[in-house]
Amino acid sequence: MTTTTPTTFPAAAAQAGPGRARRTLALARAEVRLFLRNRTAVVNSVLLPLLLVATVPALGLGGDTIAVGPQLLVTAIGVTLIFLTYYNLLTTFVSRREELVLQRMRTGELTEAEVVLGIAVPTLLVTAGQIAIVAAGIAVLGEWSAPVDVVLPVLALVGGGALMLVLAAASTAFTRTAESAQITALPLLVISTGLCGLFVPLSALPEQLATVARFLPLTPIVELSQLGLAGRTWRGDAVDLAGAWSTAVVPLAVLGGWLVVGTVLARRGFRWTPRR
Amino acid sequence: MTHVIEHPLEHVRPRHGGPAVEVADLHRSYGSFEAVRGISFEVHPGEVFALLGVNGAGKTSALEVVEGLAAPDGGSVQVLGGDPRRDHAAVRPYLGVLLQSSGLPGDLTVREAVAAWAGTLTAPRPVDEALAQVDMAGRADVRVRSLSGGERRRVDLALALLGRPRVLVLDEPTTGLDPESRRTVWSLIHDLVDGGTAVVLTTHHLEEAEELADRIAVLRAGRIVLEGTPAEIAETQPATIRFSLAPDAPPLPVLPGVQVLAPAPDVELQTRALQPALTALLAWAGESDVLLAGLQARAASLEQAFLAVADDTPSTTV
Repeated sequence: MTTTTPTTFPAAAAQAGPGRARRTLALARAEVRLFLRNRTAVVNSVLLPLLLVATVPALGLGGDTIAVGPQLLVTAIGVTLIFLTYYNLLTTFVSRREELVLQRMRTGELTEAEVVLGIAVPTLLVTAGQIAIVAAGIAVLGEWSAPVDVVLPVLALVGGGALMLVLAAASTAFTRTAESAQITALPLLVISTGLCGLFVPLSALPEQLATVARFLPLTPIVELSQLGLAGRTWRGDAVDLAGAWSTAVVPLAVLGGWLVVGTVLARRGFRWTPRR
Repeated sequence: MTHVIEHPLEHVRPRHGGPAVEVADLHRSYGSFEAVRGISFEVHPGEVFALLGVNGAGKTSALEVVEGLAAPDGGSVQVLGGDPRRDHAAVRPYLGVLLQSSGLPGDLTVREAVAAWAGTLTAPRPVDEALAQVDMAGRADVRVRSLSGGERRRVDLALALLGRPRVLVLDEPTTGLDPESRRTVWSLIHDLVDGGTAVVLTTHHLEEAEELADRIAVLRAGRIVLEGTPAEIAETQPATIRFSLAPDAPPLPVLPGVQVLAPAPDVELQTRALQPALTALLAWAGESDVLLAGLQARAASLEQAFLAVADDTPSTTV
């Protein structure tokens, strides 16, 4: 593969190694293999988005002005990121920790960030896959309509995935076992999801509550997706491309802020060893 | 995937003749509890250094700093001239670590687990070679979940050796192994050391320390209370002479440099000069025509020396 040249220590190792990407991929491949061996998890990952798509005809009965397809995709992005990405990553990190796998991973050449990312790869792939299934399902049902902008939803998805990753890593600080994640994940699952605009439109909330809700972690992801895919602001106004981007400033800033906060919390709070 | 990487170690000569591991005045605390209170030692290439101590003496806390898993609260640790934490990328390819306990995902087979780990290393051994080293070639396709404790330990060791480390840190390497596997591991460590690997290990088995270690440090409450070769450490304790006397035997004479621990009939003597004491004893027995029934003379063992200093009772340091 590569041939190393004679050098002196300690400058030697940095160039000789397999490289960040290859190391992380080696770990990720093993994690994907583990995921594929878990039949229940694989079946659930495919069934869940299909069930979501199956609700389209039911929603379509309303026949109001909101296009069902884009709205469903927005829902898929929000719901998948929080219930699959965040929750699954939290339980995976914690169970790997309790199995003493994390501590071992730290004894090799992998850096800490590479370990976390490598372990997260299957969940991130399933996230992308599920949202793709929903998008495909919408297209098959003929509910697809051209998005106002594609960059904003992509930013929402990528930024949202990264945010769920760091929030899950940070949540390991107060999650003792994979089972206790059912409790410790609740604040984000219930409060942030309830107030993200998916289930109750933010415009229907009292003004002050709506303002607070816009600063919760999941809300900017939903707002950005909705602006791009459905061309709708959080107040429910229809916007064009320019209007979408000018309205996107606040959610982009909130998402960026949460990414910074989440990263700091994850670096401080991530626990590598079981509490004894 | 085949690796045709020419091994970098063949070119790297970290400070010719210098120590592979240097620990200087290392301190480590958990809150207000000081687990490691200023220990220093060096390990050279081709040398085995054993840290002994009862549970809680600070062995693992000290090793975690050498392994780069924890930062010291005082003092410094250098591995091949680098800081195992700050110089992670430079040090890690040369460092093999066997933790006291660590896990593997149970649903991977042994081969898959080892191959995945190999994929993260600079210059790994071939997987089959790694498995053969620890006698696990025949179990390569078994899921980790189904392995016995001893088999898991051997896979742990295979992973620690997979990167052909120049410095090997082994925290209780043979705990849970049957005697035969233990012998296998010992001979493996001997081979590595002959090849120039520096080894730092902790163990609860004094015979393991005696078998493997070139030098030993006994840790008590975070400090090194005794350090030397196994023979030097054993010599810190007096030798013992035991025998039984018949009821009608004449009284024991005063023997030079001998302390009587138990009087007749079942005599136990202690001395720091075993040979002259024994000579004098045998001469007296010959002259007085006394039978020394069940005569035993024994230099102090490492175990005696360890027990004398390792627990919490105050003791003299050497």
